[in-house]
Amino acid sequence: MAEVVLEKINKTYENGFHAVIDLDLEIADGEFLVLVGPSGCGKTTALRMVAGLEDISSGTMRIGSRVVNTLSPKDRDIAMVFQSYALYPHMSVADNIAYGLKIRKMSKEEIQRRVKRAADMLELGPLLDRKPKQLSGGQRQRVAMGRAIVRQPQVFLMDEPLSNLDAKLRVQMRAEIAQLQRDLAVTTVYVTHDQIEAMTMGDRVAVMKAGLLQQVGQPQYIYDNPDNLFVAGFIGSPPMNMALAVLEREGADGLAVLVGSARLVLAASVAVARPGLAAYIGRDVAIGVRSEDMEDARLVPGAPADARLRAQVNLTEALGSEIVVHFEIDARRVVTEDTRLLEKHTGAAEAVHHDTGTRFVASFAPRSPVKPRDQIEVVVDTERLHFFDPKTGVAIRG
Amino acid sequence: MADRKSSAVYLGSARGSWLRQVGWRHLIGVVALFFALFPVVFVLSAALNPLGTLSSTELIPTGASLENFRRLFAETRFATWFGNTLLIGMTAAISSMFISACAAFAFSRYRFIGRRAGLMSLLLVQMFPQNLAVVALYLMFTSITDYYPAVGFNTPWGLILLYLGAALSVNTWLMKGFFDTIPRELDESAKVDGATHSQIFFGIILPLVVPILAVTGLIGFITAVNEFILANVFLTDSGSKTLAVGLYGLVAGERNNNFGIFCAGSVLTAIPTVALFQYLQRYIVGGLTAGAVKG
Repeated sequence: MAEVVLEKINKTYENGFHAVIDLDLEIADGEFLVLVGPSGCGKTTALRMVAGLEDISSGTMRIGSRVVNTLSPKDRDIAMVFQSYALYPHMSVADNIAYGLKIRKMSKEEIQRRVKRAADMLELGPLLDRKPKQLSGGQRQRVAMGRAIVRQPQVFLMDEPLSNLDAKLRVQMRAEIAQLQRDLAVTTVYVTHDQIEAMTMGDRVAVMKAGLLQQVGQPQYIYDNPDNLFVAGFIGSPPMNMALAVLEREGADGLAVLVGSARLVLAASVAVARPGLAAYIGRDVAIGVRSEDMEDARLVPGAPADARLRAQVNLTEALGSEIVVHFEIDARRVVTEDTRLLEKHTGAAEAVHHDTGTRFVASFAPRSPVKPRDQIEVVVDTERLHFFDPKTGVAIRG
Repeated sequence: MADRKSSAVYLGSARGSWLRQVGWRHLIGVVALFFALFPVVFVLSAALNPLGTLSSTELIPTGASLENFRRLFAETRFATWFGNTLLIGMTAAISSMFISACAAFAFSRYRFIGRRAGLMSLLLVQMFPQNLAVVALYLMFTSITDYYPAVGFNTPWGLILLYLGAALSVNTWLMKGFFDTIPRELDESAKVDGATHSQIFFGIILPLVVPILAVTGLIGFITAVNEFILANVFLTDSGSKTLAVGLYGLVAGERNNNFGIFCAGSVLTAIPTVALFQYLQRYIVGGLTAGAVKG
């Protein structure tokens, strides 16, 4: 087992495309790091460079104590799980799992012992004689995992291993892979475009955009403290709601934001925690609100009037444990490169925008009587508001 | 109830249109079958016809005997020709299959300087009509025979060399197309598993391209067995001839009446090709890569 260190790693293709830019990452021994980002963000390229399947244009890559820049994949002591599984179709499951060991000229008994152990771990025992085409998607996925763990490598590399599975199986395999990784304690780099996988599986998450690393940290920390609009919009489902607002002074040293026609007075703790906000008084800021930080005003009788947004409900989705409410407020929309990219990622770019205001999504308690086309008031937890520079998208903090 | 039954099962109602719906297919089938089988039956019949002339041959011979076969072995060097043909055909087919597979693997999997140029020049060489090169080849091999008689005229090796060159480009293109359909992830996965280039080629890729190997092998064999022009120029010695050249010699003269023997030889010549096709047929099936990646 070993740590993986990327120092100023760059990848420039022959056609001039700069896929990965100055990537710095330190993945601790035994850690599960998830690389996440929209398609084309360079995450798979980064993973393939760790694997040795892609040349490194510049920078230093270390696995354990060795610099591996010029080492071929077989000398890096890694195992990779491919998105398409890449099982050898002419070999049985047992041979597929054993292939890497046979290549390394391991003794027959040892191979048999290891294959059996891996098969037991993954419940592949009864399938060992089958060919890949006789397996279901989940079983193939397991064989691919088996092929990786049987080698007992220093590092696991996984390239969107769950994206070919149906939703239910994905949830199950997600838990299984996370469990397996914890049991084996092998350093793992896991690439996905699915932020739910990133949140649920990783010890740490690294968010990438257009070849640039945006933020690295524990999933909950990133969720609560996104460094910029992109991370805020990418991590979390539903994504963080954003609107343009004007920051104003409230009283002697208080702050308030004008969100469309509504005025939200910020708690004193907000200004204390973010001294940087003072510079934005009288100017536009982008505010962000998580869906769970809003509630139907009818359920919070004591809520102050200066913490409410007036909203026009478009759609409600009752999930049992909560009601997801899509509504519109009369604030201006935040439009930056990041929000455009995010819309493209979620497919919202194709949706028709016939609204003039800003769409928010909130999750209300299930006892809320909210109905589509209602005019309602929404209480916002102003202590949990996020603030970003509307031009650069950077979070306003210190 | 009764009405419905009768309308559903009575074939009588369809009788008038039987010819229009099904019959014409049978008619075409019968015509095609006759068209295809006529030459075969004619040759078979001539081979069994003891009179051995073209004019006396009928579809159903009057007196069948194996006299032609006896004379074929007794009076000609048929067995030698047969051996020569098998040697040349098999060697040319297997070597060209292997060499082309190597080339196709490189062209399909690696990126190197001259890759495009190489592919293009293979295609261009392929377009040049081979028979026009006979004179040049003859001159070349005249010199080669002087210096290296072992691969010169009247040896199987010189001819095999030529057949290899002729088949290489088309086989390489054919195979490259097939190699391209094998997912690259398989190579990469094997690479991560620790396999070398040759281990990937022999262990992973070759087993998956068996259908195209079988096709090119078969085509190579048939071409080598049937090829006449080059073989006729290169193999003049009676002991080095192939079947195509040797059998032609039987009927080439103006007043020969060896037609029966010629046909007997032709029938025997067809046997290895048919046998090889029967054997390879089971490999020429698609879908071998099913299950490799999500499909």
